[in-house]
Amino acid sequence: MPSAVAGYAPNLDKYLKSLKGQPLELSIENLVSLLKRRQIKGAEPCAVATAHIILQVVARSKWQNVDGLIDNVSRVGRKLASAAPTELVIGNIVRRVLGLIRDEAAEDRNEPQSEDPSDGHATPPDAVPNSTIAKQDSAGDYLNNSPSPQSRPGLFVSQSAVNIPKSLFHLLSASPPADPDHVPGSPFAGSGTSTPQHHKSSSSQVHALRSEVIDGIEEIKDEISQVDDQIAALADVQIHSGDYLLVHRPSPTVERFILRAAVKRKFTVLIVTEPPRKHLAEVQHASFRKKLSAAKITVVNILNGGLMAYMARVDKVILGAKAIVANGGVISDAGAAAIARAAKESGNAVIVLGGIYKLSPETPFGEDEVIEWADPSSYVDFADGQLVGSVDVRTAATEMVPADLIDTYVTNLGTHTRDHLSTLIADHYKPEDIDFHLWDDARR
Amino acid sequence: MSHKGKNSAGSSKGKKSTKSGAESKSEDVLQAVVLADSFQDRFRPFTVEKPRCLLPLANTPLIEYTLEFLAMNGVNEVYIYCGAHTDQVEDHINRSRWATTSRSSPFSVVQFVRVSDARSVGDVLRDMDKRSLVDGDFILVHGDLVSNIILDEALAAHRKRRETSAANIMTLVLRSGGLVEHRTKTNGITPVFAIDAKNQRCLHYDEISPLQSDHYITLDPAIPDELSTDFEVRADLIDAQIDICTPEVLALWSESFDYELPRKNFLHGVLKDWELNGKMIYAEVLEEGYAARASNLQMYNSISQDIISRWAAPFLPENNILPSQSYNRQPNGVVVDKSVTLASDAKLSKSVVGRFTTIGAGSKITNCVIGKDCKIGSNVTLENSYLWNQVTIEDGAQISQSVLADSTYVGEKSRIFSGSLLSYGVQVDKNITLQDGVVASMVTASGAPATKDTKLLGDSTNAAVFYDPEDEELDEQDPSQLQKSLLYSLANLNISTSTISTLASAIDSDDEDDDGIISEGATSTRSRLLSFASDDSAGRAGFHADAVHGLVDALRAETGDFDSAKLEFMGLRLANDASDHMMRKAVAAAFARRAAELLTPEYGSLEPSKAAEKALTARKGATKFIDEVGVGGGEAEQVEFTLQLQKALQYVKGVETPRAGILLAALLQQLYALDILEEEGILGWWKDTRAVENETLTTLKEKSKVLVEWLENAEEEDDDSEEESDDE
Repeated sequence: MPSAVAGYAPNLDKYLKSLKGQPLELSIENLVSLLKRRQIKGAEPCAVATAHIILQVVARSKWQNVDGLIDNVSRVGRKLASAAPTELVIGNIVRRVLGLIRDEAAEDRNEPQSEDPSDGHATPPDAVPNSTIAKQDSAGDYLNNSPSPQSRPGLFVSQSAVNIPKSLFHLLSASPPADPDHVPGSPFAGSGTSTPQHHKSSSSQVHALRSEVIDGIEEIKDEISQVDDQIAALADVQIHSGDYLLVHRPSPTVERFILRAAVKRKFTVLIVTEPPRKHLAEVQHASFRKKLSAAKITVVNILNGGLMAYMARVDKVILGAKAIVANGGVISDAGAAAIARAAKESGNAVIVLGGIYKLSPETPFGEDEVIEWADPSSYVDFADGQLVGSVDVRTAATEMVPADLIDTYVTNLGTHTRDHLSTLIADHYKPEDIDFHLWDDARR
Repeated sequence: MSHKGKNSAGSSKGKKSTKSGAESKSEDVLQAVVLADSFQDRFRPFTVEKPRCLLPLANTPLIEYTLEFLAMNGVNEVYIYCGAHTDQVEDHINRSRWATTSRSSPFSVVQFVRVSDARSVGDVLRDMDKRSLVDGDFILVHGDLVSNIILDEALAAHRKRRETSAANIMTLVLRSGGLVEHRTKTNGITPVFAIDAKNQRCLHYDEISPLQSDHYITLDPAIPDELSTDFEVRADLIDAQIDICTPEVLALWSESFDYELPRKNFLHGVLKDWELNGKMIYAEVLEEGYAARASNLQMYNSISQDIISRWAAPFLPENNILPSQSYNRQPNGVVVDKSVTLASDAKLSKSVVGRFTTIGAGSKITNCVIGKDCKIGSNVTLENSYLWNQVTIEDGAQISQSVLADSTYVGEKSRIFSGSLLSYGVQVDKNITLQDGVVASMVTASGAPATKDTKLLGDSTNAAVFYDPEDEELDEQDPSQLQKSLLYSLANLNISTSTISTLASAIDSDDEDDDGIISEGATSTRSRLLSFASDDSAGRAGFHADAVHGLVDALRAETGDFDSAKLEFMGLRLANDASDHMMRKAVAAAFARRAAELLTPEYGSLEPSKAAEKALTARKGATKFIDEVGVGGGEAEQVEFTLQLQKALQYVKGVETPRAGILLAALLQQLYALDILEEEGILGWWKDTRAVENETLTTLKEKSKVLVEWLENAEEEDDDSEEESDDE
């Protein structure tokens, strides 16, 4: 089984290439280790990897009905989310896909209602009330009927209990005990309803659902890749000629945004930098500076410590988000919170850029849950034995910018205020999926 | 020599043949050899029952770090040699996600290599060569490696070099460790590398230890002459023994059947014999990343602290490398599993606490790693300690700088201090105090149950102090004894403190050329580069140093025959092709040093005359040796020997010059009395201009004036002594 991974140290590209040739479970485990080892990190790579692996789960894992699929997706999603708990985008993508599946299933069941579960469940007379509940449930009536996520698997258990004779028969006769692409735990999920005669009708349905969900995930993947362009398109509205913009460790999104505005407008960019630890040959953010200079934009690098002196002159602070939590707080590179506070004190606008996929429906209890701690070697050289031996170096890689310091959120869907975020969350995520990553603990 | 399950020998061979056909050229499969047994016992008593690679470091078995490191670097095929406790290691891996049968392994091949009668790393690698398991570049690591280094660059550089010439067989991956003291450097043994500054070729490897009597290494003069014009000698490197090898390396192991250790024997030997084998080894010195081997308990301690301080990121407990873990990092640097029960007033800092552990009220825990299912009572103080799984600590106990293995029990108000080790299941009664590195175990080194030591460990104990029978066999000069305890200490050890000045005396040559010697003073900076000159004095100095030390050691010994020392000396002479002059010099230096040593307080502050007598006559056969080997000739040789004696005394430290002068006179008198030197010899030396070359020598000479005058007077009177000494 020669693996397709060429070269050595694995990364996102190699991982995505390897997906096709590998069994699904191996791909999942590999991604989990890559996330744990932080060989895939950052919002966009995590989002892309998650979308790809969930696509594989939908396409290749074994499932007989919507619930089986939801179970498989959320199971893999939980694994990924717990592997990198500070990367909230993983959860976001999984929730988006779960919502997608629920929507598609609701559409499917509304149209050909006659053929769906009736022939599967009608055989034992006791099953009728159950099946109606199941129908109701899958018809998308979640808000009134069963808002708690735990009730879903519970319901499912009862349903399969009714069908025990059939499922036993099925287990003994038809189904092979284990197949290579099986996600652990999923046999239970699918066992109840997969009777031979039911299989025919559902297989076409499964097929249709599968392709629809896959199309949906492809759309999410496209969305992720287009986010920067779409956000940049809004640059003209935000940036005006003569503005003094302050950016902190500009992310690709922020760079695109400013460069787009530079096409039409003339302004000044101040880049806040960290004091260089090692004597680097190049000025920090040199390539960005070159591009801006080419567009005839004045660029000034300022050190983090001297920030406040410039704040009076600054008009707008532009921050790139790693994630936006439900209350409007923004997770960004360490140092951003101080800048945002300084801007707030001087009455300057703080604009946060981030794709809608970074908007998370979660609100963490504390900052500590979501910030990533950095390796101390970014500030202390490991060769410095005395410092290593006697100094405890704690350095955060990301930090939370409190919601009240932020004025405007620019996403690929437009410009929003904080109050608007809850509407966006409601549009994108189903309420029953919000806590999908906590189910695991509840079941244990 | 069988393999388990899917990895049976037959199937692996099948795999092998298809692979070598299809992939010998494509090179997209990276192989690794893991040596999970190091043939050492520095983790005793813990390794009596469990292999080293399964000991938990920050609550994760060591081998997991190694395998994660390999997976991180995209290794595809792993060959593991387990050695001692093979079954446990194989069982662990077969049940983990690494097993190829688990379908989630990132490796396509995980094969256990069993070598029935391996006694060293060398035997294993020679066996691997025989079986030709690896067919391309492979990474050779040990099973106790913790590293987050990405090898891509080193691999690319290695490949490029190998394409240029097939003689470039190996790349060492090293981490620079800075010039100052560093906890992650191995104590006791300091590796010294000579590396070409331009092409990174490794030119020389040596190890130095504080127990050595001379703190320097000797470089082959061919290095500055032929190999390199610009090279660095570095003793600051952290060597985690990550080697990128070609299969030729294994072939080279097979050629040298007596090599045992990958560094001390193999690397040193291959580099030394570069002319013979024509192979070249390179070193990549990295400035980023983390790499260390938990090769002994001190390193275990250091690496645990590094992990708590996040240096080994991403291999940290909070990243939950093992699937069963669920650690969370708290803002105060404490990493605690979700299921831990903490009393609200327990104070934790910089610690790791594993699953289902409970910690009682008022306990203070600093810099500790606590395993799963432990029960820590209230008001317990834990500092810099490592508690493995299911440990019970009763109320009020204090533990610092100790390792407590699985299922140990410490009674109320007991105190365990400074480097104590409690092995599996050891119970310590209440109100007991253990310190100074007590090692307690339920079993002896051979695995038999130990007789209870109720005196030390309390009435309810089940264990005794652990004695390693191999400790007694260890040579005093063997640096590995420094690595056996948890705390590194040079106290209570007889360490000779040779400095630059003694070095100068040892290699003092009469043609006062620059001597090509690299000095590694224990107290001086770690790497020092002196000027190089191309003469053969380096080789000569090597002979001189070895010979002098051999002789001085022999003289120090209270008993035993001096003949063996003589034999050794003559062997050394033949090996180095030393001239008579060099021999004489060495003998003179050895006796002068021994005599001077006797004047110092630590050897009893003898009077010069007594010292001279003792040095020359205490050992049977020593006088004969001087007579035959040291002098062995007529007047010219006697003058020469006396001169060397004088020069040797010139550099002796701890004795002021006038006193050394008296010693010289006493030595001459003794030698005269023993009929080794004759009047002509001494008088010839007295007149020789070389004896007054500088002030020190003159001062030394002055003191012998009385002796010389007496000799001059006596010359006319008794001529018969001349006849006697002519017999020799």
